[in-house]
Amino acid sequence: MKLRFSRKQLGIPYAVFLVCFVAAPLLVVLYYAFTNGEGRFTVQNFANFFTSPNTIGTLCYSLAVAVAATFCCVVIAYPTAYILARSNLRRKTVLLVLFIAPMWINFTLRVAALKEVLTVLEGNLAYHPFLNTVLGMTYDFLPFMILPLYTTLEKLDDSYLEAAADLGADGVVTFLKVTLPLSMPGLISGVTMVFLPSMTNYVILDMLYNSTYIMGSLIGSYFNAYDWHSGSMISIVLLAIIFVITWATNGFGEEETSRGAIL
Amino acid sequence: MTDKRQRTRAIFSHGRACFAAAVAALTVCCLCTPQLSAEAAQKGAGEQTVTLRVCNWEEYIDEGGWDEDEVISLDDADIFGESALVKEFEEWYYETYGVRVAVEYSTFGTNEELYSQMNLGNVYDMVCPSDYMIMKLMKEGKLEPLSEEFFDGSDARNYYVRGVSPYIRDVFEENEIDGKAWADYAAGYMWGITGIVYNPEEVSKEEASTWSILTNDRFYRQVTVKDNVRDAYFPTLAILNRELLTDDAFRNRADYGEQLAAVMNDTAPETIQAAEEKLREIRGNVYSFETDSGKADMVTGKVLANTQWSGDAVYTMDQAEEDDFYLCWAVPRECTNLWFDGWVLLKDGIGADTAKKHAAEAFINFLSKPENAVRNMYYIGYTSAIAGGEDGLVFDYLNWCYGAGEDESDTIAYPVGYFFSGDNGDEAYVVTAPAEQAGRQLAAQYPSWEDLARSAVMNYFDDAGNAAINQMWINIRCFRLDMMSGGQWAAVAAGGVLLAVTVCCFALKKAEKGKGLPCRIP
Repeated sequence: MKLRFSRKQLGIPYAVFLVCFVAAPLLVVLYYAFTNGEGRFTVQNFANFFTSPNTIGTLCYSLAVAVAATFCCVVIAYPTAYILARSNLRRKTVLLVLFIAPMWINFTLRVAALKEVLTVLEGNLAYHPFLNTVLGMTYDFLPFMILPLYTTLEKLDDSYLEAAADLGADGVVTFLKVTLPLSMPGLISGVTMVFLPSMTNYVILDMLYNSTYIMGSLIGSYFNAYDWHSGSMISIVLLAIIFVITWATNGFGEEETSRGAIL
Repeated sequence: MTDKRQRTRAIFSHGRACFAAAVAALTVCCLCTPQLSAEAAQKGAGEQTVTLRVCNWEEYIDEGGWDEDEVISLDDADIFGESALVKEFEEWYYETYGVRVAVEYSTFGTNEELYSQMNLGNVYDMVCPSDYMIMKLMKEGKLEPLSEEFFDGSDARNYYVRGVSPYIRDVFEENEIDGKAWADYAAGYMWGITGIVYNPEEVSKEEASTWSILTNDRFYRQVTVKDNVRDAYFPTLAILNRELLTDDAFRNRADYGEQLAAVMNDTAPETIQAAEEKLREIRGNVYSFETDSGKADMVTGKVLANTQWSGDAVYTMDQAEEDDFYLCWAVPRECTNLWFDGWVLLKDGIGADTAKKHAAEAFINFLSKPENAVRNMYYIGYTSAIAGGEDGLVFDYLNWCYGAGEDESDTIAYPVGYFFSGDNGDEAYVVTAPAEQAGRQLAAQYPSWEDLARSAVMNYFDDAGNAAINQMWINIRCFRLDMMSGGQWAAVAAGGVLLAVTVCCFALKKAEKGKGLPCRIP
């Protein structure tokens, strides 16, 4: 007997999964964010977020870390991905694997190794906590930037570049007007994958002895102090910020892709 | 590889043998002892299994599997951890009481995590939190009192009451919450104090014997402190009250103990305010706040001193010794934090189930059996609350660990009578140890009576006090815009302008291109 499922039936497991593990937890977080200790509705937590110098300061600090880490990642990853994708290196895959391989090692181990290297270089890690954090994030998230960039650059059709050359564009102009716009989707997905986690990944921060909180640690500290309401509100606001950033970059990305299609 | 497999098999067959022996023993017991057979019959002739849900700290019980060269050879017995204590308890309970018990063992990482787990609907029958969490649970009425039978010293199987250290027993009886002694609800498991592990090559004993080392600029960025508010608040209060705490007049007061406890448990708003400033100063001076990395950082020499719980201090010094690196232990002269972890039964889990309560109390007793206490101490490095009573095993173990060899000349007599018999002058309980041990592992594992004289238990703070110190902690850890210097603001402004210019250029070019595009494409 053959088993036949309609599309609807096949969708049931996904629907159940989405409801149980995405919608329900979010609702719980929302509930805590907008209630106080007695379980009554309140917007006090929301107001606290924007009036407390702690949350605002931490938000700025996290943004600074994220911007710096993303910038470093782009600066390192773009040339790497470009060279890997565009050149005729014989052992291209081996090189790519070398860059991606760290991803297969547990990240705490990697950061622990980085810690030792930095200690040798700096003598005392505690002198430059911000720098260490940015280095740690860059080191840890670099493969997430290289991979999408490599994939888009690899797919780039050579005829565009030849056309640009035929029309008299030199290398710089070709790169700025053809390669860069066409690789935007990869760049954007890389940026989202690096920027957002580096705002919240406090394990790296902890391991590199930066005792300043970023958003992730701030949420954790509220939960540790049994203040689930403030913690949830911070998560919700952070979610909103992340949503806006993703939406903005996505809009940007789509526009770029369509322009690429026109080209 | 082969070795390992063989050992696994050996353990397995051993387990089967035990099982067979247990069945045989049960049969015999049923036939011979009316009391036991009655007990067994009551439980449906051993058919019914009691499930015991236990939640303990991570790595806080002997899990067996010791290497063969790890046998502890004492005068009276060889001690060896072959299989996990939890498994052995299940066997022991069946052999002793004829009832099957299945232990569902889980772990937690912090007291707060345990409390959250319990509030999230995880039901446990017994847990092992620290002093202040026991107080909190007692206050909230969540604990089931220990039964009278548990304290019946005439029963040879009541290892806890027969073996608990008189010192620990007294502390548990003297400390009360709402007029009820801790001892009614909690049984001590591990205990210790806080102090400072230091590298004697760089730090003098004098410098390490004070909490002020945290603000000592000679060790700028070379000392670590614990990353949780309670363990950071205690030294801060000690630094703030330094003059009072080291004043002889204060020391000699009749009510010194209570006064000290009051000072170290002060959560008045102005105290917290002062502590916040002091902690900020500490933060500016220390290497980092650490949760667990402090031990490794001491051993690798990244830091010169760190505040530590006595059990972890022992571990750190042991680890360093393996690398031929020499670390010492000092107890600050201001005061030290006396802490405990203890077993408590939970009302939620136990309810009216007497069989379960019996099994839970038997579990405490099993862990308090002197050889099991020694195994736990060896395995986790902390100090058990069990002295062994008439059984000399724990003291033998102490001698085995720290006793001086016969050829050693530079030795000291280190009295630990307060712990074993309640009288520190008791000559039966004096360890002859190498002189250096007075400032090393021995002094950390069994603090001297002088160190304990200036110890204070840190209580559970009320909700307002708790919220205030948590807020203070967050204030210290967060970055604030007003902390930025003029140069930093300038850098940020420059970055912002640069970004804005780039975006504008980009947008302008795009607008131009957009206009030009239709003309170019045809």
